[in-house]
Amino acid sequence: MSEDLSSALVALKRAEVVELVKLRAGRGEDPFAILEECRHGMGVVGERFQSGDYFLAELLLSAEIFKAAAAILDPYLAKAGSREPLGTVVLATMQGDIHDLGKNIVATLLRANGFEVHDLGVDVPPSLLVEKVKQIRPDFVGISTLLTTTFGGMKEAVQLLVQAGIRNELTLLIGGGVTTPAVKEYVGADFQTTDATEGVTYCVRTAKDKRARKANL
Amino acid sequence: MTSDERVCAAIRLENPDRVPVVPTLLPEPAARLAGLSQAQVAANSQLAVDAIFKVFDEYGGWDNPYLGAYAPIQLQAVRHYPMKMLIPGKDLADDRTFQLDEQEILKPEDYDTIAEIGIDKFYYEDYLWRITDLRRDELPGTFERVVEAVMSFANQCALRGTRMFFGADSLHPFFALSLMRSMVPFTQDLYYNPAPVERALKRMTADLITSQIRTVKQTGVRRLLLVEERASGFFYPPAVFERFWLPYTRQIVEALWSEGIVTIFHLDQCWDKNIPYFRQLPRGSAVVELDSTTNIFAAKDTLRGHLCLHGDVPAALLSIGTPEDVASYCKRLIDKIGSDGGFILGSGCSVPADVKRENFRSMIETGKGYELSRK
Repeated sequence: MSEDLSSALVALKRAEVVELVKLRAGRGEDPFAILEECRHGMGVVGERFQSGDYFLAELLLSAEIFKAAAAILDPYLAKAGSREPLGTVVLATMQGDIHDLGKNIVATLLRANGFEVHDLGVDVPPSLLVEKVKQIRPDFVGISTLLTTTFGGMKEAVQLLVQAGIRNELTLLIGGGVTTPAVKEYVGADFQTTDATEGVTYCVRTAKDKRARKANL
Repeated sequence: MTSDERVCAAIRLENPDRVPVVPTLLPEPAARLAGLSQAQVAANSQLAVDAIFKVFDEYGGWDNPYLGAYAPIQLQAVRHYPMKMLIPGKDLADDRTFQLDEQEILKPEDYDTIAEIGIDKFYYEDYLWRITDLRRDELPGTFERVVEAVMSFANQCALRGTRMFFGADSLHPFFALSLMRSMVPFTQDLYYNPAPVERALKRMTADLITSQIRTVKQTGVRRLLLVEERASGFFYPPAVFERFWLPYTRQIVEALWSEGIVTIFHLDQCWDKNIPYFRQLPRGSAVVELDSTTNIFAAKDTLRGHLCLHGDVPAALLSIGTPEDVASYCKRLIDKIGSDGGFILGSGCSVPADVKRENFRSMIETGKGYELSRK
């Protein structure tokens, strides 16, 4: 693995990362290997964030760089064929709220960790969320909010998932500045956080455990 | 002690007869508590003022009403929210609260325009018309209605023997630019092209000092609310904070303080890593208003005897907790933070728009009635 690419990403050198990805993809290197190097860089950024050396700003900037790199690689990846994702996630900001900053960071970090992400956007009604979950059958559902007025909608979405008999098939996460452990209990979620990396780490760990259990069957 | 004397004593870091109570009751939660729709208060700032004072009277009153004399579109007009908006009754259902639609409106080249001609001229000649549904000919009338609503608010306070918590309010220049540019591009500017941002911040700081000293003096309440939600250690490392926020903030606070004006910082998100910097401000020159994501108990240890704290009953607690939970939290605040003065009890950020009536009452009554700190 070349250290240049992942190091440049960790150092938030946007132009350098874009140039390197273009160059290496253009000369026929394995796009999955290039993507893996970018993911490695994102992993280091995540570790630095967790240890307090990096802040949300650096997480945001690295996520933007990763998105730019992934966009360059997309056509090469499509030609090279698909690889099984670590897991599938449906994300949404609940009806009544149009904030999307936190959700967007989580989406990029999940993609950087090998998840297939279906981002339903903002102001999503509970019924629409549940319809999409029925179609996609994700491993995880993440609901984001910055407003207490969406707590009722979150609870309703969980009740609809229960009624549809699919609540136990997935792991439900909630996040956002106003959420607390008490809100997690109120809504009936499995996990709550105000820290994007904490949520992503939880998804990675849960997905890997699930994969290991499957392998042992 | 009168209500206002109690608040002033706390700000001066004295120990008043009891902890003063100042909930951030804005028109959105007031509408719910007063039995009005969000669309009604969003369409009429006078109705918004009436709703706040109806709640004030029904719940037994508190020490200083928190100035909330607006309809959302007026907040755009007076540069409080320099963003596109979705408004109930117009863009949203009647029962929804107004929403801020953050988009990249400010362009990189605009920083130098602001630095050159000043934020007011830039805003009213150019920027406002990129975000608003107002017509140019509606602007004078909109300003008149804002002034009328603020005067009505002040009169309602006087009728109840108190004053507004602050005389005027402003976004911190850093926060304003972040909202105008939007979070990600603004952060990219800070890291990849900081010089124009600094030029704009410098000019906006000078403009803010001139205009807000004038406005605050006109209102007669020598306190300015300065809103900042994005500069903290939750978002940025100390190097960014020290370069792009702290020097401008010191300049603002010191200029206001030299005129006898106290700065009330409305600080959302977690400021745990930044609280020690506030000791650099003159003693008693500011109030630090926290939203419950900052550890207010640790902040008290750091700022005890230096700056007054205001907060921080969590929004989620007011929304889905019980009255007993709210009372318990308020008592803890009063015991741990209020017992030696320099503390005002309030909600963390705004009282949420879906606050339970019994929880709001519990906050007010516990705040006013709990006397353990006096024993």
